[in-house]
Amino acid sequence: MKNDLSKVRNIGISAHIDSGKTTLTERILFYTNRIHAIHDVKGKDGVGAVMDSMELEKERGITIASAATFCEWKDNEINIIDTPGHVDFTIEVERSLRVLDGAILVLCSVSGVQSQSITVDNQMKRYNVPCIAFINKCDRSGANPYRVITQLKEKLGHNPLALQIPVGLEDKHNGVIDLLTMKALYFDGKNGENIIEEDIPKELLDEATSKREELIETASLFSDELTEAILEEAEITPGLIIEAVRRGTIQRKLTPVLMGSAYKNKGVQPLLDAVSRYLPAPYDIQNDALDMDNNEKPVVLKSDSNEKTVALAFKLEDGHYGQLTYIRVYQGAIKKGDTVINTKNGRKVKIGRVVRMHAAEMEDIEMVPAGYIGALFGIECASGDTFTDPSINLSMLSMFVPAPVISLAVKPKDNKSQINMSKALSRFTKEDPTFKTHIDPETNETIIEGMGELHLEVYVERMFREYKAEVETGKPRVAYRETITQRAEYDYVHKKQTGGSGQYAKVMGFIEPIEDEHFIFENKVTGGRIPTNYIPACEKGFTLCMNKGPKMEYPVTGVKVTLTDGAFHAVDSSDMAFQTAARGAFIEAYLKAKPVIHEPIMKVEIETPTEFQGNCMGLINQRRGMILGSQDEGVMCRIEAQVPLSEMFGFSTILRSNTQGKAQFTMEFCMYKQVPQMVAEALIKAAQDEKKK
Amino acid sequence: MNENTLKLDNPLSQLGFETDSLITPGQMGAICARAGIGKTSFLVQIGLYAMARGQKVLHISLDEPVTKINIWYREMFNLMAPKNGITMINQAWDTIISNRLIMTLKLDGFSVPRLEERLADLIEQDIFKPDTLVVDGFPFEKCDRCLLKDLKILVEKMGMNVWFTVNTHRHEPPDQDGYPVQLTGMSDLFNTVIQLISEKKIVDLQILKGQVDSEKAASLFIDTDTMLISA
Repeated sequence: MKNDLSKVRNIGISAHIDSGKTTLTERILFYTNRIHAIHDVKGKDGVGAVMDSMELEKERGITIASAATFCEWKDNEINIIDTPGHVDFTIEVERSLRVLDGAILVLCSVSGVQSQSITVDNQMKRYNVPCIAFINKCDRSGANPYRVITQLKEKLGHNPLALQIPVGLEDKHNGVIDLLTMKALYFDGKNGENIIEEDIPKELLDEATSKREELIETASLFSDELTEAILEEAEITPGLIIEAVRRGTIQRKLTPVLMGSAYKNKGVQPLLDAVSRYLPAPYDIQNDALDMDNNEKPVVLKSDSNEKTVALAFKLEDGHYGQLTYIRVYQGAIKKGDTVINTKNGRKVKIGRVVRMHAAEMEDIEMVPAGYIGALFGIECASGDTFTDPSINLSMLSMFVPAPVISLAVKPKDNKSQINMSKALSRFTKEDPTFKTHIDPETNETIIEGMGELHLEVYVERMFREYKAEVETGKPRVAYRETITQRAEYDYVHKKQTGGSGQYAKVMGFIEPIEDEHFIFENKVTGGRIPTNYIPACEKGFTLCMNKGPKMEYPVTGVKVTLTDGAFHAVDSSDMAFQTAARGAFIEAYLKAKPVIHEPIMKVEIETPTEFQGNCMGLINQRRGMILGSQDEGVMCRIEAQVPLSEMFGFSTILRSNTQGKAQFTMEFCMYKQVPQMVAEALIKAAQDEKKK
Repeated sequence: MNENTLKLDNPLSQLGFETDSLITPGQMGAICARAGIGKTSFLVQIGLYAMARGQKVLHISLDEPVTKINIWYREMFNLMAPKNGITMINQAWDTIISNRLIMTLKLDGFSVPRLEERLADLIEQDIFKPDTLVVDGFPFEKCDRCLLKDLKILVEKMGMNVWFTVNTHRHEPPDQDGYPVQLTGMSDLFNTVIQLISEKKIVDLQILKGQVDSEKAASLFIDTDTMLISA
């Protein structure tokens, strides 16, 4: 480890599923001598790409858990997090972006900016991650990097800046022209490892010259030196352009665009050059932590190994070597033998083995300095926890974690599976904050909850593969909620006199619907009609009612409770009596307040060839979906819709069969909405039938 | 007409036209203004008032993405709702949202047969049968009378009315009939033409065509803080 921060890059590779990011990572590792052979993602050769270390990922050809790895390129140390592309796993993408300083946005030169790229881009914006774009698959039929550049501008609002132009496209794609040096680069050798620099072919010279002019003009906005050089007609060196582009990129005002074909080993080495040239070093980015002793006041962290340690655990993995905790050190250093504090629970943690990960392999190191990513052994924590020096109490900003929208009952097949399942669930819930589990007190079933059908499916398969836990699954259940639609009053007396000390409490007031809030309690009692020491008990009583609605026993949301009056008894009133009275009052008012059921609505985007547009819209219509619109994109079109999650089960199969497999879709949680009367009645009936059983 | 209606006080009803919608089925209307004056927000409000009446509105955009147009509608509705005594805004929005569909088409790929094909697709599959089309970003400068004439025939055939935005320029004086030059030779195809004029931070509505009773008409303007049409 060199510990020269200016040469450290913590980057992620984000993209739409199947844009080729795992292939690209594989090539990067090959050219940086981390691996010595190249394997396909889908594992045709039985080995599979190095970054897809989970068996399941190799089988499905998708990246699920982001493996962290590091490599060196021309003196630069690059830490790479390979992020999953499927929308069901976006918490992984978000967590990765939180710890990264920059990213490569991989785009397909045929499909261009797809729906997932937009989601990933939004996440990058949220965490202010500067990025460079790599237009991949230039060798594919229909490749058009210029169209993708336009889409980067129009759809994602970037300011794309092409640093290269392709030498030939589709099956004639031979290399790229570097607009900085005005040289054509070809990639020779079995794996494209020999870069051959030649003069630009005559037929491309004019285009290259005009694109270089565009490049210099755009870059000059970020550098006075470059502007001066242009005005004085002095020589414009690559160094001047690089500095200007770097400034623009770090400010997120420019997105340098490179191109090639990772699969055909073209254009990857210049991309690595671009990573070290344009993406920020750890100290270029401001990272804040919250001071827990000072009302969560933000504190700016310094990328200095001599300062007090602040590190974030961003990923947990249970692998062959035991539990592994991936950390990013923001300030100070994590050293072998050190003691740090886990801010969340105040527990002291002794650092044992410190390693640097290379996908599924690792190397032991003495410490992880500020700005670096590493992994620790034998640390008991959850992902998202902060480790600090014992003398400070800082927490990294909490990450936004959406609530689960779908659940599934899982039943182990035998006793051995039962034990293994518990182990697996305990691990998964620590690894992934969007994956939750609990035991249903009524049915005694284990329920797992997550962000989508595929999300849960993958965990069920992982239970089997990694923990040998065979489980049977029930039908996926949607996380319905209840709410009220009108104001209703309550006037409730709880009175009990059955020997011993009695119970007495009276509460009066009203409940009303609210939007955009879960629960509000307002106390308007005056004149001591209910002594103030009983008010928290009233609030607790009402809050407890929110867990299980009186209508369908779903969690209640969007209710404001106002307590206006009441009465107490000097001897018989107690906290318990007021809590019970509040519960009774809530049930009394709730049923008068026209309760309704809400269901999760997903934002669904379908990309389809235009000839299937009508079919796809029809499919959405059949699923109680609401089509927001359709966007024409040449031969393809994109349909945006909102569809109830309960109607989306098995949609991928149906979509494929209706579009000859040519359409694809993504979905993510959008909002909760009232279910139509007919559906509500069916839900009530189904619940009643189940109770009878 | 469907049951998804909402009571919204439509200031355009004070303009002295035959109907609140200013045009009837088969008719065409145009909103003319320079860039940045508020054509799109005006068009969106026309769309929202039609949606509130229970009419199905197909918003066709030739330059903006679906998400952006959706935000336009939502923002304008959020501003309109409190003025109409609506407190549960999300609930009210849900009532009328199914009355709207957004379609973005590529400028170079826009043609009447193609539009007809898309509309037929929507109607035949019972996905959406529009009563009103609102077209934003139509390239009047590049289009000929034929295209517009064909479009008029199409809307007459399908019983829809259609609104356009027309982008005018400061340096171009109106033609001899008083219409923006972009409509020269085509103004007869339009039944209603409204111009938005910005002067000293106020945007006024000028009716160039279609008004029945100008004496009883109130003068409307656009509130530049909210972009809402106001009396």
